[in-house]
Amino acid sequence: MALGVGGGANALTGQARFGITPMAQGIVVIDRSGAVPGGGSLTEVRIVQPVVMGVGHAFGNTIGFTGTLNFEGVTMKGGELTPGAWGEGYVDRRHPHTTIHELNVTWNDVLGRFDGAGRLSITLGKGFVPFGTDDPMSRPFVRYPVNHHLSQLLERAVGIIQFDLARFTIEGSLFNGDEPTQPADLPLIRTDESTWRFGDSYSGRLTVRPVDGLELQGSLAHVHSPEARPGGGPDANKGSVSARWQKQTATGDQYAMAEYARTSELDGTFIYHTYLVEGLVHRGRARVSYRFESTERPEENRTVDPFRTMRPAVDNSILGISRWSLHTVHLAYDVVSPERRVELQPFVEATFGHVAKVGGGIFDPVTLYGTDRVTALNIGMMVGFGMRGHRMGRYGALASSMGGMDGMAGMKM
Amino acid sequence: MRSRSILGATLMVFGASCSSNDTTTVTPNPPAVVAAFTGNNQTTTVNATLVTPLTVKVTDAAGAAVAGVTVNWVVTSGGGSVTPATSTTDSNGRATTVFTLGSTVGTQTVNASVATIASPVTFAATGISNTPVIAITLVASVPTPTGATFDHDTYVRDGLAFASMWNAGMRIYDVGNGMAGGSPANPVLVGSIITSANGVAGGPQVHNSWWFHNPVTGQNKYLFIGQEGSGSIGSSSAGDIHIVDVSNLAAPVEVGFIHIAGAGVHNFWMDEANQVLYAAYYNAGVVKIDVSGALAGDMSSRITTQVKPGGAGNTYIWGVMLANGTLYATDMLSGFWALDPVTLATKGGGNNVPERYGSDQWVSGQYAYSGSWGTRATRGNAVKVWSLGANGAPTLMDSLIIANITTVSDVAVTPDGKMLVVTAEGGAGQGLYVFNRAVNPAKPVFVASYITPVGEHTGEIAIINGRTYVFAARDPGQQQMDIFDITGLVP
Repeated sequence: MALGVGGGANALTGQARFGITPMAQGIVVIDRSGAVPGGGSLTEVRIVQPVVMGVGHAFGNTIGFTGTLNFEGVTMKGGELTPGAWGEGYVDRRHPHTTIHELNVTWNDVLGRFDGAGRLSITLGKGFVPFGTDDPMSRPFVRYPVNHHLSQLLERAVGIIQFDLARFTIEGSLFNGDEPTQPADLPLIRTDESTWRFGDSYSGRLTVRPVDGLELQGSLAHVHSPEARPGGGPDANKGSVSARWQKQTATGDQYAMAEYARTSELDGTFIYHTYLVEGLVHRGRARVSYRFESTERPEENRTVDPFRTMRPAVDNSILGISRWSLHTVHLAYDVVSPERRVELQPFVEATFGHVAKVGGGIFDPVTLYGTDRVTALNIGMMVGFGMRGHRMGRYGALASSMGGMDGMAGMKM
Repeated sequence: MRSRSILGATLMVFGASCSSNDTTTVTPNPPAVVAAFTGNNQTTTVNATLVTPLTVKVTDAAGAAVAGVTVNWVVTSGGGSVTPATSTTDSNGRATTVFTLGSTVGTQTVNASVATIASPVTFAATGISNTPVIAITLVASVPTPTGATFDHDTYVRDGLAFASMWNAGMRIYDVGNGMAGGSPANPVLVGSIITSANGVAGGPQVHNSWWFHNPVTGQNKYLFIGQEGSGSIGSSSAGDIHIVDVSNLAAPVEVGFIHIAGAGVHNFWMDEANQVLYAAYYNAGVVKIDVSGALAGDMSSRITTQVKPGGAGNTYIWGVMLANGTLYATDMLSGFWALDPVTLATKGGGNNVPERYGSDQWVSGQYAYSGSWGTRATRGNAVKVWSLGANGAPTLMDSLIIANITTVSDVAVTPDGKMLVVTAEGGAGQGLYVFNRAVNPAKPVFVASYITPVGEHTGEIAIINGRTYVFAARDPGQQQMDIFDITGLVP
């Protein structure tokens, strides 16, 4: 973790009364997608994942806090061309995230020595729900995987209780089920009819570290009416298991992750599965990453803008389910030495694969895209400051449990 | 077409050579009178083409038709155009042109003249404005209660509005009945019921209704409620017909249901005189149900007939309507059908809108209108106009295209047949549209629209105290029952 400012040495060890570690990132990218509604291809230039962050502590390490501003609502209001992406009313484009991406406070080690070697912490605010795997922004690739909405829950008002003991961390949370519909949205705490949305959804996650470098995770979540903000829409039941491994060696870093997740809607009427494996090899300043995913998504009625769907939908039916089987290769190079806080990383990222119809319904990929083959190419430059090693969405005792791992695992690695 | 032209040319040459050798040819008398034959004094909107072409008849002094006379057509006021500008009388002495009005509101004229006749004949037409004189007026909006994400449809009868508000159930409002002092501008809730889920994922999902006025028993006891469960459109669906006793409108009671395994219900129509309920049942097709007598419990055995007009895998019925002795059905996949209401056998139509998914329909007189939905090869932004043959079979006449939408979700015609009302979704053009079909039902003319931030899903027309209202269900995000007054738009 990078040095803090304002009096701290290490934000996690809490040796100073107050400390904050500033971070920032932005990626200029040329996106080319070969899976475009209506056929053909599109090429666009965007600034994606522009964030400014601060992770800090106060009163030693008693209080921790995290704040992230995300400016995608300005730089990619119409979304980022991403074959297979869906969610929050966008389709085949990744939606922009909310401007206030994270803003939360953690009370670390609540019980002090009363829980012995264990550490109990409580986090409250806006941010990631303890469910699933690391946010794609914290992983080696620029283009998000299709499974983002199956494998992560974020941008919620969330209360988390975390307990860490030895090689185990268990987390439980309450949060609001509604997902945002535009970058300016804040989580809906209570509806106009005085119905609480905060607390209408919950999750639990168990993280186990059997040996150094290996992290196993299993999590469950119940999300009430994620796509109908006032409530009253269908619920989602989600599950995720994953194995994550990372190692720093004399010759470079290695990372691998495998996950399976599923989301069941309407009491199992629709079930979406995702399998994903990815890995990174880092030698000197060169990075090579590979990802394969097989992810199912709902196909919904689109608006006049073929990259948007009606939100909320007018009923609970879908046009069918598609499965996206995609290979992605990412090549990057650190222009600046990895030991420096400033990052300058040109990259090339290519995706290829296919999309298929799963089961019934009127959706047909060839009719929509003119082909069932998927290609995409990203070329760009990532500029960062202090982000290396930060795993977004891990708070309190879970964040503390990562001691000794930073420096590699995290933002664009 | 090519062979027909060659044949025609051959006959002309043959005829000409015969005439030249015919010593008994009678030379007609010179033309003496040109008079209007058909097409005078029509009305349509400005810049539109008159339905009936303008026709003159040229006769000689004895009143006999004169063929081969050149008639010149000239627009003399209004700025319109005629096609062709000259035409030749046929063997009946008639010559014709088509008049497209100019932009002038009021009288527009065309003169038809013959060179050898001093007095031309004048045709007059009246151009009416194609912009609304009075806008659509939103007189009331009734929000859905807590927990209702959707308001899907409204059924209006006897001054009562039955609002289908999804998981908030059926809510009954006095909008002019008098029982609670309500009006369209001030709907008053008189009763409600949340029907059972019947094991369908997603809950009651109250979607539509029909209040059965039984002329046989004289009772208005039953309200049929459609439950729209979830499905993969085109292949699966779920949801039952719920039977509710509304003898006491303030306290409706659910008394029965109708269930089809593996399928869900959508819109209804009734043949009340024969105590028959017709249901659009998505992938189960068109379903005919005997609803005579007492209804209670599982009434699924009352299903008497069931057909899939498009065949298995090509049937997903959106709506049905009984009119002119024919049962009409719109299928998302296989288009617009005419069925025998007794046997449900096909009378005509079908597989006639291949480029779009079908949605709702309405039949008025000898014309029908069907909507379209989503995006197939083309966006569902069209209202298809059909003429109905003697046996009720539809023939496609035209399409009304609405810009910046993807779905025409509902169509209806006012009881007097003058106005066509359309609801639209899926883009910046979403909202309520009104067309004038009084002049020419084959070519309804746009009159006015009310654009809404989210779409209007359905529109039910009701005449209350002499005024014409549309009860619309606004889409999720702003889910509410909108009540529009369109009286001023009705000619």
